[in-house]
Amino acid sequence: MEDEKIVALYWARNPDAIARTDEKYAPYCRAVARNILGSPEDAEECVNDTWLGAWNAIPPQKPVVLKPFLAKLTRRISFNRWRRQSAQKRGGGEIDAVLDELKDCVARDGDPEGEAIAAALGQTIRQFVRQLPPRECDLFVRRYFYTESVAAAAKHCGLTENHAGVILSRTRQRLRAHLCKEGFLHE
Amino acid sequence: MNEQDLYESIGQVDDDVLLRSDKKRRSSRPWWAAAAAAVLAAAIAVGTFFPGGPASTTAYAVAEASYPEMAPYPNEMDADFEAQYDAWRTDKRAQDRDPAYADGLEGYFRASIPTFLRGAGTENRAYSPLNVYMALAMLAELTGGESRDQILTLLGHGSIETLRAQANDLWNDHYSNDGATNSILAGSLWLEDGVPFNQNTLNTLAQNYYASSFRGDLDSPAMTEALQSWINDQTGGLLADQVQNLKLSPDAILALVTTVYYQAKWSSRFSEENTAPQTFHSPVGDVTKDFMHTSFDGHYYWGDQFGVAGLSLANGGGTMWFLLPDEGVSPEDLLADPEAMDFLLSGGGWDQEKYLIVNLALPKFDISSQIDLGEGLQALGVTDVFDPDRADFSPMLSGSAEDLWLSEAKHGVRVAIDEEGVTAAAYTEMAMSGAGAPPEDEIDFTLDRPFLFALTDTQGLPLFVGVVNQP
Repeated sequence: MEDEKIVALYWARNPDAIARTDEKYAPYCRAVARNILGSPEDAEECVNDTWLGAWNAIPPQKPVVLKPFLAKLTRRISFNRWRRQSAQKRGGGEIDAVLDELKDCVARDGDPEGEAIAAALGQTIRQFVRQLPPRECDLFVRRYFYTESVAAAAKHCGLTENHAGVILSRTRQRLRAHLCKEGFLHE
Repeated sequence: MNEQDLYESIGQVDDDVLLRSDKKRRSSRPWWAAAAAAVLAAAIAVGTFFPGGPASTTAYAVAEASYPEMAPYPNEMDADFEAQYDAWRTDKRAQDRDPAYADGLEGYFRASIPTFLRGAGTENRAYSPLNVYMALAMLAELTGGESRDQILTLLGHGSIETLRAQANDLWNDHYSNDGATNSILAGSLWLEDGVPFNQNTLNTLAQNYYASSFRGDLDSPAMTEALQSWINDQTGGLLADQVQNLKLSPDAILALVTTVYYQAKWSSRFSEENTAPQTFHSPVGDVTKDFMHTSFDGHYYWGDQFGVAGLSLANGGGTMWFLLPDEGVSPEDLLADPEAMDFLLSGGGWDQEKYLIVNLALPKFDISSQIDLGEGLQALGVTDVFDPDRADFSPMLSGSAEDLWLSEAKHGVRVAIDEEGVTAAAYTEMAMSGAGAPPEDEIDFTLDRPFLFALTDTQGLPLFVGVVNQP
């Protein structure tokens, strides 16, 4: 079913909206959740939570394309779940490695001042990602948004794993420089 | 801020970026190669100069401009991609200029935009302020005395040196020639054989304005063809219909021709499935036109007599603004409304705005317009160059300087927009949702009656402005 019709079902408060969304996007959202959490059971629960989240968000929202809307929702829900779990134990997904890599881009020992301006961080990241050349951009998004393994992201972008590793490393350096320039980090 | 904050923030990347990343890369074709234009615009300004006395037959060399070298856009599949990328990035950065160069241009924009757009009646009209700026700056180089001073005053300068520096910065800042984005503010001089021109002036134009000079029998078919093909080359053939009839007057001894060509994609394309016929209330009666539709979370702006939505263009292409006059108000009224000009020159920094869901309905259009700049320039105080008795072209001529004046100043513009063309492979329509607080309101913004548009660059400088009466 077309996204527009599914969204119309949400707006009509018709529960079929969830069934149609599940039919079309469950495998996609499951993959997003599983990349983060590792466990298929946990991922499944996050996907169900995603449908609930969509039900609560639409209306008032009216996404024209559901895919990125659902991807963001699933990612947020899965990451929150990982955070709750990680207080007790580490999960088995790709997230640990991704977070380790992102440490390259932040202050070595925390930055209390930075927390005050964290609200503007999303906007800065959006700008940074948008000005990346297309290939770097895609690779960055596959790795740090979709939380794919380097091997999977490399394959997706038609690169060798080594080459992808080099590009990602350079992109992280650029991101760190960008965050410094924008005042989120101090050298 | 720690790595978890960073990871969370990456969750806010734009939807179209996510959608593009979903597509697997296979071919070695650069991503932009398949992308058709969403916005195409081109303008040409031509001034023709007439001799007033007998010409001598001294021969002069042609002055040639050389554009800055720019490494081609890197091919991501090549083994030496990193090196290509660094070369490209270095060349691109070399064109960046301190945005302060544009300070002082506002007065010219504010005065000239209404002057050249007013009086369209029921027709469409479009004007490129930057194109005409380059033509006027070059004209200032060619003139002296009061003729030059009048142009300097209009452009907001006290000396030719500051104007030259600004024009050079403006040219460089808008220059891109990497195969992915081609944007050149091109200028040229066409000289009649045998007239004693001052080589230093031609060299100044070549060095500072990147304008080449061509010399020959301006009345000959070969020269006419050369002029037409130069314009077509510089404007991607977009003005071919207008150019095919462009011929210099048999009496002309010099023509100044400047062009600007612009091509860009929407940051988020319109879905062709959402394009449908709808009524447009034109001043000559209702007509049915194809309307493109999209909904996005974004800023809606308003003034006392108008509402505005802006659509951003990919790859640093700037923004296209649509100003819809309120019911009962015409585009002509807005052109006389200082608040509307304030908005056009604000670059989107406007207090009366709200972040909400914008349901945009926009007719596809492809408009062409030809305007004679002469009357408008004279209204703006540039009078002497048009007056055979007062025109002073002494810097350009080494001989009978008093015998030359500007006889014609034409300006042709074409602006076309569509969903994006054929590029299903590159971008998909987007829904900006899921990140941040959802807007609480929405607005239907339907451009179904005459409206104004402005295409501004990333700094908010107006490349094109126009009135659409009949899309």
